Amino acid sequence: NNSSQLSSLPLQILLYVNGIYYIFYFLASLAMLIYKSQVFSYPDDFLAPDLAVLFLMAILEVPRLYLGFSGNLTEAEVPLGLSLGLTVGSVVLCVYLLLWQTYVLRADVLLNAVLLAAYGLESGLKVTAIAAFVS
Amino acid sequence: PADIRDAAQARVRSAPPPVTDVARLCVCDLLVAQCDVNCCCDPDCSAQDFSLFTACSVPVVTGDSRLCSQKAAVYSLDVEANPPERKFELIDQVNPSIFCIHATNYKQALYLKSPEIPTPENFDLLLDKFGGATFSAEPDTWNLDTDAENAPDANETYRYEYGVPVQTEDAFLRLPSPVVSSWCSDANPAGFLVNQATKCIRSVSVEKCDSIQALSMLFYINSSILASVFQVNITVESIIVQSLSGTRTLLNSSDVLRVPMVLDEVCINAVLGVNYHITHTDTGEIIEAAAAFVLGAISKEALSIEQSFQISFTQENTQPVALSGNPGYVVGLPVRAGFRPQGYPFPAAFLFAALALSSNKHSQLTILQSTQDCLAAQGARAPVLFGYNMVSGCKLRITAAMKCQPLAQTLLDVLKGQSFPEYVASFGNSQAQDVLDWVPITQLHISEQMISNTLQSSCQIPVSLGIEVKWTKYGSLVNPQARIVNVTATITTTTLKQLPSGRERIIPITSSVVFTDISSPAQPGYKAWPTINIKLPFDFFYPFV
Repeated sequence: NNSSQLSSLPLQILLYVNGIYYIFYFLASLAMLIYKSQVFSYPDDFLAPDLAVLFLMAILEVPRLYLGFSGNLTEAEVPLGLSLGLTVGSVVLCVYLLLWQTYVLRADVLLNAVLLAAYGLESGLKVTAIAAFVS
Repeated sequence: PADIRDAAQARVRSAPPPVTDVARLCVCDLLVAQCDVNCCCDPDCSAQDFSLFTACSVPVVTGDSRLCSQKAAVYSLDVEANPPERKFELIDQVNPSIFCIHATNYKQALYLKSPEIPTPENFDLLLDKFGGATFSAEPDTWNLDTDAENAPDANETYRYEYGVPVQTEDAFLRLPSPVVSSWCSDANPAGFLVNQATKCIRSVSVEKCDSIQALSMLFYINSSILASVFQVNITVESIIVQSLSGTRTLLNSSDVLRVPMVLDEVCINAVLGVNYHITHTDTGEIIEAAAAFVLGAISKEALSIEQSFQISFTQENTQPVALSGNPGYVVGLPVRAGFRPQGYPFPAAFLFAALALSSNKHSQLTILQSTQDCLAAQGARAPVLFGYNMVSGCKLRITAAMKCQPLAQTLLDVLKGQSFPEYVASFGNSQAQDVLDWVPITQLHISEQMISNTLQSSCQIPVSLGIEVKWTKYGSLVNPQARIVNVTATITTTTLKQLPSGRERIIPITSSVVFTDISSPAQPGYKAWPTINIKLPFDFFYPFV
């Protein structure tokens, strides 16, 4: 990092790519849920939690990314910390979709694994960024 | 003994656990303790049996093929070895698709649910769920729906559709009819717009005739029909009384209710026939219902009587006339015809120029029915059925004493009938009010001797009537309707030569009906080819143009 600029460029790039990837992930997961509900035996009380988790994750993603962007650019550690907290929640939901969904297809595994890796990398970069801002 | 019984019951209560190990699953193992032919997975087969097989009927046993990775048991016959032996392998089958099921957290996803074994405790519940004609997940809501249907909504008008049973206060409008045997069954409901006529036998006894419900008029008119906001009572239209000998008399007053009673060992006022006439609107609401009764007498010896029932539906403000097709004529149904009432000009206002159609007999085009002797004919005529060409005739014996003019008139009556119609309906369902739907009959006279003698006074007698009906196919190509376009009635006359006295001559008189199809071949309609409109902008070639 340049000594005058504390914002983390890799974090910025990663957040940007995460945003684009998340849109694709959300649409693909929703399409696959619809496909699963038609092809497999999917009673309503198993379909409802899966749908709820997917939509909750989408709702969490928006403030998470926004706080990440603004925190990194303004070099403020509070938004970045909040974003980190929301990331933890997103990770939990992602793990649910990876392991505890009613039907986990191979495509589900791939999508969620990539997202989980992105979250993990982001969290690491956010921690170093916060450390840089604080110090 | 008690605990053994309990143990046996406990064993029966639970179904055997499902087999999920592919190595032990065998679909073709049908015979118990015996080797099934060509079944490579059968555990009852020995190596000797395997050597006699030609092929494996079940080569692979797997679970759900949509799983990403699963075990599969592969059976094959090694025919090259001597003797042939069966090979069994347990392999891991991998599904290459990206949408294969990696894992499920829903136990019933891949296996059929084990059915509940009925016990005295859950028997009633299972019977409710699965005892009916259809299975329903929630039997309670199903019952609620039928209750809501039965309670009539006061604001909603009750509309009937074709075939729906006509509902009355307590049940349905009954039309007793023979079911299985000829005995009357009272549980046959009358369907809306379904004209029915049934005959059935009812067992009676004269002593108990006033207590048999089905012999009394009340049984047929006491319940009122549910229709619209109000209920329609069944009125008594007419009562015909039939005596023991069979003579029928129409009663003047039909508002007196007659109940069966025993009089001199004869039961009178017993219902022998009911004829329901229901009037409805064009939206399916019943507005009137009337019943015409035939009451008769039952003698002491009679053990059973035959009852006949009929129901007919008429739309309000229309004449009840049988349609010959809807709208095009149906082959085999009578051609409908009619007259223009006297004094009405044609084609004046439609209100006045309605054609007169009375009962069935006179509203049909009829043709002479073949007999031996024309003059002895009783006037029996046969209706002209659409599409059926008919020829009929009779023989006329001419003696010297016969006068020409009356003979000609008689023959004309014989050929044409008492009331030869003037118009024929062009469609099978033409209404009498629509004058333009009716085709006038063109009458032609042809004299057989074209080389006419100058003596026109020598009389001509008609010898043949030929009706030619020209029809065409009308409407769409896939469902063409027959429509009558032209009707021509040609009377051919011939000169009657005076016979020397004592001589007789027999001449044949014929009448015929011919149906000719004059439909022009269908012209397919094509959509216009799409045009490509390419226009360059005004200043495309600027600055050259």
